[in-house]
Amino acid sequence: MSTALNQLDTTIQVVTPENIAFDYRVAGPFRRLPAFLLDLAIRIAAFLLIVFIINFFTGAGGGGLAVAVILIGWFVSEWFYGGLFEAYWNGQTPGKRIMGLRVLTTDGQPINGLQAVMRNVFRTADMYPMLSLQILGDVPPAYIFPTFFVGLAVMACNRRFQRVGDLVCGTLVVIEEKPWLTGVAKVEDPRTAQLAELLPADFRVSRSMARTLSSYAERRHYFTPARRREIAGHLGEPLVRRFGLPADTSYDLLLCALYYRTFISDRPEESPRREVPRPHDLAAESNASKGSDP
Amino acid sequence: MKVVELLESRRRHWKTLEQMIDRLQSRRRKRLPPDDLVKFADLYRAACADLALADAYQLPPSTTQYLHRLVGRAHNQLYRSHKFDFRLWGKILLHDVPQSIFRDRCVQLAFCLFWGVFIASGVLAHQQALWPDYAQQMLTEPVISQLESNFSEPLSGRDPNADLAMAGFYIRHNTSIGLKCFVGGLLVIPGLFITVFNAAHLGAAFGYMARPEVTEGQNFFQFVTAHGPFELTAIVLSAGAGLRLGVAWLAPGRWGRMASLRRTAREAMPLMGAAMCMFFLAALIEAFVSPSGLPYWFKALVAIFSSGVLMFYFVVLGLPGGPSRATG
Repeated sequence: MSTALNQLDTTIQVVTPENIAFDYRVAGPFRRLPAFLLDLAIRIAAFLLIVFIINFFTGAGGGGLAVAVILIGWFVSEWFYGGLFEAYWNGQTPGKRIMGLRVLTTDGQPINGLQAVMRNVFRTADMYPMLSLQILGDVPPAYIFPTFFVGLAVMACNRRFQRVGDLVCGTLVVIEEKPWLTGVAKVEDPRTAQLAELLPADFRVSRSMARTLSSYAERRHYFTPARRREIAGHLGEPLVRRFGLPADTSYDLLLCALYYRTFISDRPEESPRREVPRPHDLAAESNASKGSDP
Repeated sequence: MKVVELLESRRRHWKTLEQMIDRLQSRRRKRLPPDDLVKFADLYRAACADLALADAYQLPPSTTQYLHRLVGRAHNQLYRSHKFDFRLWGKILLHDVPQSIFRDRCVQLAFCLFWGVFIASGVLAHQQALWPDYAQQMLTEPVISQLESNFSEPLSGRDPNADLAMAGFYIRHNTSIGLKCFVGGLLVIPGLFITVFNAAHLGAAFGYMARPEVTEGQNFFQFVTAHGPFELTAIVLSAGAGLRLGVAWLAPGRWGRMASLRRTAREAMPLMGAAMCMFFLAALIEAFVSPSGLPYWFKALVAIFSSGVLMFYFVVLGLPGGPSRATG
């Protein structure tokens, strides 16, 4: 991917010990907020469940020990719920797992226990400024709500969407989804194979053109024929002139044919034994490979 | 080789790798048999190689994207988070933390700030001539009347059930204040506010209770003596550790601001851990010793003993090279 795209996209590159660079998508606030709210809901539900169970076994008032256990449990879940889960669940809390998020260090490596605990303790700093309901009227001072302005502002100011807690520990949150393998785009039109044979055999498709062709072939289904013609024209028009094809050749079809030759049929320069492709076999093969997709 | 054939030959490996990742992620079967582990590493490396050669193979962009995500997921299963190393904690708490506190300017500053405000507020609340309404303004009437009613009876011990419940309450409440003080220190202003407010509030309560005409004062001082040293030290320590974070990014010195903050935070968190231990001890004393009917000399002894422990912790363990020099 070009640097310009990298600057635009919210991806970070990780170089593994295997010396391979791969990309991660960084998670922004709109994906992390639901995860946070889910965690909050889970925490409250678990707390209420525990209170209910303890009360069930010790009677309504509860002994001193029951109250102490509940209070200490609330304290631990308030400050260390996220930290403990992220340390033992490999950078995920239940909410993060549901939303497909994971915490990593800025180098893309797994976090350690200290980082996990710290980034969650420092969430309090993200919650500032606190909003008291007293500004609305005469209510007890107990009702204080976090506004998360500091966290949002800090997230907006850096490229990796790190909140204060992340900056302090050098961590970030990435999106980790189950990927879908789509394989090679299907080319249904039978004229494509015919046109592919008409293309000059010595024409080499460069790497960047191959990328362009497959991007086009994968996405052309989303466009109307007129729009396809407009998009394909940028590359199709000079190619029609160069190959000496009739002027009314469909640009869309030409790009598909070129795609077909590059990706699906044999590339003549690499396997000269099978210079003439057999379109029917290959079309059947490509369809079969599509059919086995999940 | 055609791209289609290439994809077809690789697809099987990628799918197997995906299934293994799924199995690793489900909690029930955390460990794979050794054969599978070797296979997993092989498949992961093969996927990495495919990704590295994606451009040379002319793989379609959607497949490249698939490989990025597949390798990302496999990477996160292969390299897992480091859990806590409990064996290190003893060394950190008993050696590293006192050493760093001893030469920590921020803890000293927090100490001066807290006790300065505390004493000033206490004097103002005690000496009505200087600022007649100070105690009422600082503490507010409801708090004063509650303080007075709480300590109107001489301490004679509660029922043990209430002691246990109160221990839980003190652990939660006081440690939360300490943590807020620490985290607020990062943003400087909230940290200073929490420190100064707590110092002024506590100082005013102490000063008010020390007035000769307040009869509840004697019970109050009997109550606070035993747990005072641990609790007040813990507050100062949290404030100092927090202040250090604020200073780390405001005056980073030769470091970048973010690098300085990360470096300092790694050092300050164990300090907060030590403060949390102190809060815990203070809560136990506050719940079981302070409200009991034990004679005052015993409570004073607890206070002297805990001060001695703190002194030992800060000075003997904290003296540069102290413990190691003692052992030779």
